Amino acid sequence: MSTGRVSRPLTAWAFLAPYAVAVALLIALPALLNLGYAFTDHTGLTRDPRFVGLDNARRLLADNFLADSIRASAIHLALAVPLRLLAAIGLGLLLAAPRPGGRWFRVAVYLPTVVPDVALAVLFLWVLNPLYGPLNQLLGLFGHPGMNWLAEPGSARLAVALMLAFPIGEGFIVVLAARRMLDGRLYEAAALEGCGPFGQLRRLTLPLLAPVLVLLAVRDTILTLQVNFVPAYVLTDGRPANATLYLPVYIFDQVFEFSGFAYGAMITSVLMVVTGVIITALLLMVRRWRVLR
Amino acid sequence: MAEQGVIRLESLTKSYGKIIALDGVDLAVRAGEMVTLVGPSGSGKSTILRLIAGLDRPDRGRVVVDGQDVAQVPPHRRAVAMVFQDYALYPHLTVRGNLLFGLRVRRVRRAEAEERARAAADRLGIADLLDRYPDETSGGQRQRIALARALLREPTVYLLDEPLASLDAPLRFATRADLLTLHRELGTTTIHVTHDQAEAMTLGDRVVVLDHGRVRQIGPPQQVYDEPADTFVAGFLGSPPMNLVRGGGVLGGATDGIVGVRPEDLRIDPDGPVAATVEAVEALGSEAILLTRCDDGTRLTVRTGPRPGVWPGDQVRLRADPGRVHRFDADTGRRR
Repeated sequence: MSTGRVSRPLTAWAFLAPYAVAVALLIALPALLNLGYAFTDHTGLTRDPRFVGLDNARRLLADNFLADSIRASAIHLALAVPLRLLAAIGLGLLLAAPRPGGRWFRVAVYLPTVVPDVALAVLFLWVLNPLYGPLNQLLGLFGHPGMNWLAEPGSARLAVALMLAFPIGEGFIVVLAARRMLDGRLYEAAALEGCGPFGQLRRLTLPLLAPVLVLLAVRDTILTLQVNFVPAYVLTDGRPANATLYLPVYIFDQVFEFSGFAYGAMITSVLMVVTGVIITALLLMVRRWRVLR
Repeated sequence: MAEQGVIRLESLTKSYGKIIALDGVDLAVRAGEMVTLVGPSGSGKSTILRLIAGLDRPDRGRVVVDGQDVAQVPPHRRAVAMVFQDYALYPHLTVRGNLLFGLRVRRVRRAEAEERARAAADRLGIADLLDRYPDETSGGQRQRIALARALLREPTVYLLDEPLASLDAPLRFATRADLLTLHRELGTTTIHVTHDQAEAMTLGDRVVVLDHGRVRQIGPPQQVYDEPADTFVAGFLGSPPMNLVRGGGVLGGATDGIVGVRPEDLRIDPDGPVAATVEAVEALGSEAILLTRCDDGTRLTVRTGPRPGVWPGDQVRLRADPGRVHRFDADTGRRR
């Protein structure tokens, strides 16, 4: 059927078209515009941005708040990504095996993911409350005097990362599904060789899941650099001492609080570059380790 | 001290949920013997292997290996090696990695492990594949890798779960011979599972015919073929299966029993007592199978030499070899 063969690519493009249009209009075009605005003096209030060349780039270099912001984002990344991955992988592997009541545990793990960010953040304001929050009460059981979580830079960073360790549903589901697809006979063969549970985890599960885990790490890195806006805004508003002034928070401040639309666009471009550099480094490392063949 | 490689199964019973996989199986395997477990799917063949290997625990009964009840012995401390049906090679490791896996787990020194892996690979003719990944090898090569991996356990018993099932026909034939040679060289007790009756006939000193978790017959393949203990065995071993006629009918004989005759024990004879119409002729090259229907509706399968010279629609007369007619009880199906 020659007609079918000719029309097949056309059909494929027809199905792709709505998505392609959306990507072009909602992602590619704004990203390009953003890049263009980064070299203007646009405030977001007037309609006549002027081209100012590298002025905004020069301002970047002298901006101490930006340095703090990048530092905050980097520390957050180092805390939150391993914590989230560990939680998603650990819980995914623990709950993959069919067990009585297992489904309730799986629901419990997924539940925080469907709670809106703001609601979760407000909940954590209560959890972290130094006077009556359950976290300090829990610490009190062990004789710890408790902490003023959101008032100290270190503990505030930890608190935000802690909150973001809960909405891990997607990663959890991916690990769960990937683990269930592994051939049970491999584990039986390993058990016959004398390979215990930890040996099986180290020699079978993790290497076999490596491609999925790398994907999750890349995804979580991108996500973590961006989704920290709501918790930081609700919990700390970027404070204390700029410890949680993550890049999205700082960009929001610049664009909407200080009317620095163009400068915000410049920082957004920086965030994209930083994300790109981190992902590239991650993939190079993965190739070096020969995790994927 | 019992001789190495002796296995005894005593009233072994195992069910998975409501499904009874094994229902009181007794079996004694001699040292160095090759025993084939054969039966339709769901007959409990693989379950027996899993219980011997220790991958599952019996509900009742005992597994005795080398004179020791192994109920409390974990799988890796039993002197058994298992080759899985689809080989269960580790896809993320090279062939070398697959062979070294168990040795590394058992903390064998690196140089010695390499040496032993190489020797096993040489023995099975896969030394040139050591740096490939399993998905870069053929079905036959994968089977050899799995065998080499089993070899490295230096077991007193090999358990082979349908080792030839995933190979294509010509390869299966060659590999069957290789397996026999290997078994003869090693002289190690081997229990081999198959649902293929040709394999059951050719591999193994004795066959154990299983059905619904019970042993139907144990014996040397030819003996089981020649003297099936019941109608199930008669129908299961042999392709095409034995003609079984309830009440004797056209084959004559016991009216209260079942009379059986194998297709090769029926021949076309102008003076034969049975009149039949040829319905189909399957020419298989070296032989032909005639599907015939008698006047009373009974269907008889006849195996003849090639080019039998009859065609569908032809009337023929058949004669059964009187010495090779089997009689079974109509109620129990047992041989009389």
